[in-house]
Amino acid sequence: MIADEATLSRLMAKAQQGDRPAYNVLLSEAGMWLERYFRRRVPPHQQDDLVQDVLMALHAKRASYDPARPFLPWLAAIARYRWIDHLRKVYRTETELLEEGDAVEDSEEDVIAARVSLERLFVHLPQGQAEAIELVKIEGRSIREAAKKTGQSESLIKVNIHRGLKKLSALVEKAE
Amino acid sequence: MNRARENMIAGLTDDLTPVRSFRLRDGVILAGIAGLLSLAGVAVIKGLWMGAFQGDATPFFWITNGLLLLLGCASTLAVIAMASPHIGNSREAAKWATAMVGVLPLAAIISLIPRTDPMGAIADPVSYHCMVDSLVASLLVGIVLVLWLRRGAPVSHNAAGWHTGLAAGALGTVAYGLSCALDTMVHLGIWHMLPVVIAAVIGRLVVPPLIRW
Repeated sequence: MIADEATLSRLMAKAQQGDRPAYNVLLSEAGMWLERYFRRRVPPHQQDDLVQDVLMALHAKRASYDPARPFLPWLAAIARYRWIDHLRKVYRTETELLEEGDAVEDSEEDVIAARVSLERLFVHLPQGQAEAIELVKIEGRSIREAAKKTGQSESLIKVNIHRGLKKLSALVEKAE
Repeated sequence: MNRARENMIAGLTDDLTPVRSFRLRDGVILAGIAGLLSLAGVAVIKGLWMGAFQGDATPFFWITNGLLLLLGCASTLAVIAMASPHIGNSREAAKWATAMVGVLPLAAIISLIPRTDPMGAIADPVSYHCMVDSLVASLLVGIVLVLWLRRGAPVSHNAAGWHTGLAAGALGTVAYGLSCALDTMVHLGIWHMLPVVIAAVIGRLVVPPLIRW
């Protein structure tokens, strides 16, 4: 069970004052939250690296959290930012796919989780760009495979990935 | 949780030191001081146009500087907020303020159309100085906002660049504008808008690489 928003905000405010036990609990809870957050958007074997990357970003940028505001939208903005950065960097050569069993259904999504989710970002992309990023950057397929599957040319797949990632990076803080 | 993450969390916990948390108010105070210092610099070097405060200025003078001040404040607030990332951070106020200020150059251009020598009306001897001096007066606010962003964790770099340029350009132009006695619609709508546009473009080009993390 992951701590609720109010508890996480309180822990983070204490961590900013140097409270180590509170910080330890916060990082563990944030780690679990991030695991769920990235579940459908990162292949399982990359998930832990990305979670650790976000936790390190949380540590480095902890002063930028405003205790007067909720914690999860702040964490989610950093998580989205690092995720898009991760998509830019990662170009997997293997063709490992996300298996059905990897995408575990959440029992319930609270309002904040829905507002800050990664899924919503894709709604703002044209279909061709979303498909290209999904297939190549998330599922790890080759450009050729993605082109064959979508009916787009290989050049168009590359252009769509480039434009899509650029657009995603402009949408990091978007809630709707 | 796996062992690697447990170890990392233990390491980060050991490394924890107290930090001064992000406060919107701190950013506003810093930007306000930078704006006032720019104004003081203009007052010392150029001298303020006292006639404006004695009723000699046209309404355009106050409308232009008032709208630029609003744009500067709205953009500054947007930049300060961007240092603390947040899903749902909105920059609507700055966007609308930009649109409102955009009416001024349009009005200036429309008012020039019926004239027989529109270029002559635009080109007056001090106009170029207005533009350059406004940009110089924008520097301090721009630097303070970039430093603020670097202290924070901005995730919308291009937007931060645009808004930093707009904020610095608008506040710098207001500071300089209070020393400028040319108060026609054409002069204010063109030569006091160009520095804002130029500053915004410079901000968009220069700021993102400086705030990437």
